Amino acid sequence: MSAAPRTIRFTLNGSAVEATFPPHLSLIELLREQFDLFGARESCGQGLCGCCTVLVDGNAVSSCLYLAAFADGAEILTVEHLARDGRLDPVQQAFIEAGAFQCGFCTPGFVLMTKQLLDDHPDPTDDQIGHYLSGNLCRCGTYPEIIAAVLDASHCLTVSL
Amino acid sequence: MSPFALEEPASLAEALALLDPDDPGARAIAGGTALMLMMKSGLYRPQRLVSLRRLGPALTGIHTAADGGIEIGAMVRLADIERSGKVRAAAPVIAETLLTHSNVRVRNVATLGGNLAHADPHMDLPPVLIALGATVRVTGPAGERSIAIEDLVTGYLETVLANNELITAVSIPPQTGRRATYAKVTARTADDWPALGLAVSVHAEDGVVRDARIAIGAATETARRLPQAEAALAGRAVTDTTLREAGRAAAAEAPVVADHHGSVAYKRVLIEVHLQRALRRVLDGAAR
Amino acid sequence: MTETPRISAGQIGRSIPRVEARAKVTGTAEYIHNLRLPGMLWAKICRSTVPHGRIRHIDTSAAAAITGVQRIVTAADIRNVIAEPYYGPAFHDQPILAEEKVRHVGEPVAAVLAADPRIAEQAAQAIIVDYEPLPAVYDEVEALTSSVFVHDQLKPAGTFADLKHLAGRRDTNIALDFHLRRGDVEKAFAAAEQVFEHTFRTQQTMHTPLEPHVAVADVRDGAAVIHSSTQNPSFVRIEIARLLGWPENRVRVKTAFLGGGFGAKVYVKVEALAVALSMLAGRPVKIALTMEEQFFTISRHASTFRIKSAVDKEGRITARHCEVFYNGGAYADIGPRVAQKSGFTAAGPYDIPNVAIDSFEIYTNRPPAGAFRGFGMPQLVWAYECHADLIARGLGIDAVEFRRKNLLREGMPHATGTIMRDAATAAVLDRLAQRIGWGQPFNRGNGTLRRGRGIAFGLKAAISPTTSVATVAIAADGSCTVYCGTVDMGQGSTTAMAQIAAETLELDAEAVRVVAPDTDVTPYDMGTLGSRSTFHMGHAVRLAAEEAKAKLAALAAETGVPPGTNLPLAELFRRKYGMQAGTVVGSGSYLPSYVSPDHATGMTPNATPFWMVGGSAAEIEIDTETGQVRVLRLVTVADAGTPVNPRIVETQLTGAAIQHLGMTLFENMEFTDGQLRNPNFAEYKIPGIRDLPEQLTGEIVDAVQQSGPYGAKGVGETGTFAVAPAIANAIHDAVGVRLMELPITPEAVYRALRTAAGDPLGDT
Repeated sequence: MSAAPRTIRFTLNGSAVEATFPPHLSLIELLREQFDLFGARESCGQGLCGCCTVLVDGNAVSSCLYLAAFADGAEILTVEHLARDGRLDPVQQAFIEAGAFQCGFCTPGFVLMTKQLLDDHPDPTDDQIGHYLSGNLCRCGTYPEIIAAVLDASHCLTVSL
Repeated sequence: MSPFALEEPASLAEALALLDPDDPGARAIAGGTALMLMMKSGLYRPQRLVSLRRLGPALTGIHTAADGGIEIGAMVRLADIERSGKVRAAAPVIAETLLTHSNVRVRNVATLGGNLAHADPHMDLPPVLIALGATVRVTGPAGERSIAIEDLVTGYLETVLANNELITAVSIPPQTGRRATYAKVTARTADDWPALGLAVSVHAEDGVVRDARIAIGAATETARRLPQAEAALAGRAVTDTTLREAGRAAAAEAPVVADHHGSVAYKRVLIEVHLQRALRRVLDGAAR
Repeated sequence: MTETPRISAGQIGRSIPRVEARAKVTGTAEYIHNLRLPGMLWAKICRSTVPHGRIRHIDTSAAAAITGVQRIVTAADIRNVIAEPYYGPAFHDQPILAEEKVRHVGEPVAAVLAADPRIAEQAAQAIIVDYEPLPAVYDEVEALTSSVFVHDQLKPAGTFADLKHLAGRRDTNIALDFHLRRGDVEKAFAAAEQVFEHTFRTQQTMHTPLEPHVAVADVRDGAAVIHSSTQNPSFVRIEIARLLGWPENRVRVKTAFLGGGFGAKVYVKVEALAVALSMLAGRPVKIALTMEEQFFTISRHASTFRIKSAVDKEGRITARHCEVFYNGGAYADIGPRVAQKSGFTAAGPYDIPNVAIDSFEIYTNRPPAGAFRGFGMPQLVWAYECHADLIARGLGIDAVEFRRKNLLREGMPHATGTIMRDAATAAVLDRLAQRIGWGQPFNRGNGTLRRGRGIAFGLKAAISPTTSVATVAIAADGSCTVYCGTVDMGQGSTTAMAQIAAETLELDAEAVRVVAPDTDVTPYDMGTLGSRSTFHMGHAVRLAAEEAKAKLAALAAETGVPPGTNLPLAELFRRKYGMQAGTVVGSGSYLPSYVSPDHATGMTPNATPFWMVGGSAAEIEIDTETGQVRVLRLVTVADAGTPVNPRIVETQLTGAAIQHLGMTLFENMEFTDGQLRNPNFAEYKIPGIRDLPEQLTGEIVDAVQQSGPYGAKGVGETGTFAVAPAIANAIHDAVGVRLMELPITPEAVYRALRTAAGDPLGDT
């Protein structure tokens, strides 16, 4: 039986790391409790609000619904990894310029989902924006500005390609 | 979540050996999105979970058969099905359905087998797969068997599968000459669980319906076919009257249940209206 | 700094990004949600499973046997550290943990402490409570006459003088009744050409801030430090000090950014329990509610509003009688203030000579209701603006024309007798009509898709009398720090206060730092609520900055700097102290004038420091075969005075409108026998990105609040007022049916259509 703590190795924001924890830990609990990464937040706890979004091998997942054990061997990326050397990612910059947040609690999740959207669809249609971002909730209702930010970021990224 | 043991077997045989038909405290976990919800809410407190993620390529492939049918491994993630050119070629309605199923993050993790085995009536795929005539391949200690999707689920979160049987693949027969569509009807927000999921697959020629398969989900306790509505169409010329009769038959025969999304009477209205619209879409060629 | 004051430093009206923008997009913004202290324990709460019952026995044995459980706490333990463990802003009716009785499902009964939150959670679920069920009452109208009483007697807090007469009142579920009488209503009804009477209802809804309520309490060495996601740190400090019998200076409340508040986080929520648990454990204790637990903590009142109007031959409203019943749930929270402070505006933005208002806060066995963005206004506007439309239809007058004819304009007396000042009712109504194209032909649809337009608007008074205090410090290098207790929960107050201080001190707003509220550091503020901060704290910050500016001028004079010299501030300090040293501190305190309403008549010459005017216009499309409503256009217009940061104000308006679209179409706390059936996002649906109207705009009319800081006033709630009635009025316009309650579900619309067609839909 393996209810005992297990040790896994994975890549976290570009660095090889190791962690030991009981099997019933979720990925978000692991990231917060052992790696002090607080950009992903558990809010609805049901994978519906997107606040806990992180990327696993390039795919956005709800880290509150993801067993930490499944991160074994994976490449995990959190919002903390986007700004490099003090320079914001174009998506982050676009969110600031469009005023695309109020309380900011949902923002890292929206930023990461936007990254995923633009990775898949650099010049997204309204439908594609809706399909990628409908799983993220902003209770402050900043959606119009978020859509503007997505379009800004898309423009910025496609122009610089 | 309460503590549990996690096993990660490397073969199907090993996985099956770790499951016990008489021990509901041990269960298979695939992507885990649904199981995590049940465990977090305290609805399910397993002693042991058997992860299927290391079972290898046998369960993660998508293969097109010579006859144009397709077989999708149980551990294929919904997002990969959504993006698969093979699936899109064989049954485009699947990709279209997945686009609004749950959300991108869940589809990036949830698997086809897990989605079906979970047997949540609000899932979008079961009625679609039923309409397409799909079957699941299931492996257990006694060997392999095939089950039609409409026979898989017996009730809310209940299936015919023994606790030591695992879905290994889903087979979709060739859809030659057929068109299919899925209507997801939400009563609240756009990202809500459906009040009604309605899938139709029709073979029509020269304005006459040769064969129609109609399946319903969400409004009923389990996804199921609607045989009287199918019969109302079979061999009939495509007219507004025919479609209306099919709509009425479907509304009358479906064993509808009331929930947060609406009353029984209202859901019957939705069935009647949306079946006619869905049929019109496939028969007019707007869906494939 | 120049000696000659500029007319404007150009900081007001600048749409700068939020000063904390970078921290929010990188995920590093500070929230109490993230806080861990050394040695900290987690508390998880065991909650009532019955709506009303006597606690017979609490069996903690199974929970206590779980390895890692530090302590299990019930009401009896709380009494060991807090002698009278009842709290609440209006009534001291809410126990920290239930004693003897539970009064709603989800009420905290026991708490478990453990170093691992998962163990605490597991143990909390293992506590078995035996209840003797008691009869319960859930409906606000039924509760008026029910023989079931939620509380044995009323226990008003000392905070509000006008509640004192309620002390000790027994055998009632009425926590507060407010009455207003103006003119002779009965006579006017007798003389009326026509009388219109309707009853409208709203449902119970929840704020669902994405950062659920959280507090970390650390009580040791005779001092309590509370880190909380609270909207009013000063109140929490005062209330905790009262509970402990300590002076305020031994209680410190700190906040960070809030992941949304919307009124859910006003007054004491989880702080009292966290403090008691920390005292019992001798260690820091964190309580972080789940999304589900929030639904049992606070909500928006369900309501019933009976409204009756008399109209004369010319279509003028001559009298109105409003009976408003707010379903307060099991504990009063700030509900009595909702019943009064919003209740007195129940007659709407109309000039009506004879008005009677009876507004009630009612106890029931539901989870408590309190403040929620709009503070009772969405319930009121829903009723009086649907009513206005029905009157206009009944009279055969255009809906906008009817409103104009009866409009409460500048200089007219409000129902309270207060003369209207700086309330841009006419401008808001005109702009709404213009933006939606009122009176112009539009595509009304055909076949099974029908379109219609609707308009609605409302008027809110700011809560009074309330105080804000701020200090502004200029460091020796000339940099400026603002100390104020306004909590930034997303509304942009940090940025607004920086802009106001910068305007006064002629600095760039980006260079001003606003510290997070900390009652050891930031002075008293009544609370971040009721759209009061820009006005009240804005004034306090302005006054503090003015005082600092005057002190700097005095310093310049003292050090012999000739007037008009553009000497850098740092040089001024160096001249005085011979090195980079010293601080110049200005303080500002603001309390607007106010006259309490007469107890019998509700009349007052000075009801509010400012009026908020907001409205919405909608164009919708209905699928008549299913009742599905699609919102094509939603225009929200507000009088915000002179906006400090126009872009943030516009975002507030559209954000509020989207939030209110949720209450209008989707959100509903559904109960069966007092059991909440949908306390989660799977079944309580809030708007997402695919629910937006095709066109959505928020707009500010050109206006000035003469008494406001740089002409500004509050706007946080304004966008919530009128979305629901605008949509209901548009539905009526499209298909001729009237919805009398919220939410407007497709099924409700479809049923109304069938009923109107004489073929009502049955149940099966």
